[in-house]
Amino acid sequence: MIQFNQVSKRYPGGFEALKNLSFQIDAGELVFLAGHSGAGKSTLLKLIAGIDRPTAGSVVVNGQNLASISRGALPFLRRHIGLIFQDHKILFDRTVFDNVMLPLDIVGYDRREAARRARAALDKVGLLGREKLNPISLSGGEQQRLCIARAVVHRPSILLADEPTGNLDRAYALDIMELFKSFHQVGVTIVISAHDESLMADYGRRILRLNKGQFTQ
Amino acid sequence: MIHWLRLHRLALLATLRLILAHPLASLFNLLVIGIAVALPLGLYALVSNLQGLAGQLPTETQASVFLHTNAGPADIGRVQTLLSQDPAIASARHINKHQALKDLEQTSGMADLLAGLGDNPLPDSFELTLKDGASTDLAALQTRLKADAAIEYVQLDSEWAQRLASIIRLGREAALTVAALFGAALMLITANLIRMQILTRREEIEVSKLIGATDSFIRRPFLYFAAVQGLLGALVGIALVGLGLNRLNGPVSQLASLYGQSFQLHLPSPPVLGLSLSTVALLSLFGATLSVGKHLRSIGN
Repeated sequence: MIQFNQVSKRYPGGFEALKNLSFQIDAGELVFLAGHSGAGKSTLLKLIAGIDRPTAGSVVVNGQNLASISRGALPFLRRHIGLIFQDHKILFDRTVFDNVMLPLDIVGYDRREAARRARAALDKVGLLGREKLNPISLSGGEQQRLCIARAVVHRPSILLADEPTGNLDRAYALDIMELFKSFHQVGVTIVISAHDESLMADYGRRILRLNKGQFTQ
Repeated sequence: MIHWLRLHRLALLATLRLILAHPLASLFNLLVIGIAVALPLGLYALVSNLQGLAGQLPTETQASVFLHTNAGPADIGRVQTLLSQDPAIASARHINKHQALKDLEQTSGMADLLAGLGDNPLPDSFELTLKDGASTDLAALQTRLKADAAIEYVQLDSEWAQRLASIIRLGREAALTVAALFGAALMLITANLIRMQILTRREEIEVSKLIGATDSFIRRPFLYFAAVQGLLGALVGIALVGLGLNRLNGPVSQLASLYGQSFQLHLPSPPVLGLSLSTVALLSLFGATLSVGKHLRSIGN
């Protein structure tokens, strides 16, 4: 599903965020990405989503090499990926419901079917009663849930979450982790990054530990 | 196909929502576009109305030739031949001075006064119709004819009509030039409006790109917005011209009635209005395309 071959990423200015990484994540796997801030977790996730391109090596997602993918093909790859951002990237100029509709509008879904799916996604994250609100009135944890609903509403085969529990207290964080677990159970490939390893340990899944752009054991 | 239509409907709805969401800003934008449209269109309307008026005037070029009052039959015969041989003259009609006096007595009601005159004060004259194209060389004709000793005066009756026609041609050119200038301005205005829109919706564009929006999906609402705004702005412009002409119509018909005419200013014909609408929409669309192409690349990946 996701394959890195000797991938390096150097940003303009010379900072080397990732150094010669090779690994593979199989379809349906749930993998944690651990490491301190600045260890390269976000960069790694950005490479999988095609937001950044590797300076060396190849990143293969869904059989497509992102090092050489054309600009026109990128959106169609992204439609197989659900992205959950640490800063949520929620749009505050529209309702909770319309935020979740966005990925379906982009694909051009039938309006009624889209609305049904959006409600199902909101129900899944426990926000169904608040669909008409402006997201500004949601708490931090609720905004994170909204972000998750938007990431899964179009049923992606890969879910990438960058520090989804970063700003949440432990009870909220556990809730969110349970959500991911349920997506994993229906066969979604999931990569979750976090700097707090205590949450990961309970799940007994593979953990990739990054330090200064390299894997450690 | 249905999918494609759905995407376009979505973009159009988003456009209308956007216009209604900021009524005051939208109104200002429409007024800016409207004024840019109204100036050349108004000028054009005035010029074409004037042209309609000029169309009612005699267009073929006429001239009158007056002989000295003491000119005899031999002189008249010579001038008649001279006129019939001149290459610029299509026909010449002789008006006998006795006949002219009789006509004057009948039309002016000054029979008593004229009867009191000993001599006929009127000269023999010729009414000329000039050939097409001769109008360009009227001055030459004038000097040519004046060379004959019997001819006292050559008057070009339609000279002022030709001046009017030249002025109208000039006005037409001016309208076109102004239209071109304002067209370019309109494009730049739209490009700038779209640029500001892109900047205010930067976040939305960024997020949309991240979740799989194609470039055309992102571009589409901006292009729709520009085209719809251009159309509405052009309608505002036409309305402004209509109001302006309506305001002028009172004094204009008063002026016309002084000359025993009835005359009203009208908006340009529907085809011209349609052409203006579509030109404005296309120019806006073009400006938006330039702007979107330039600025979208700078946002996200």
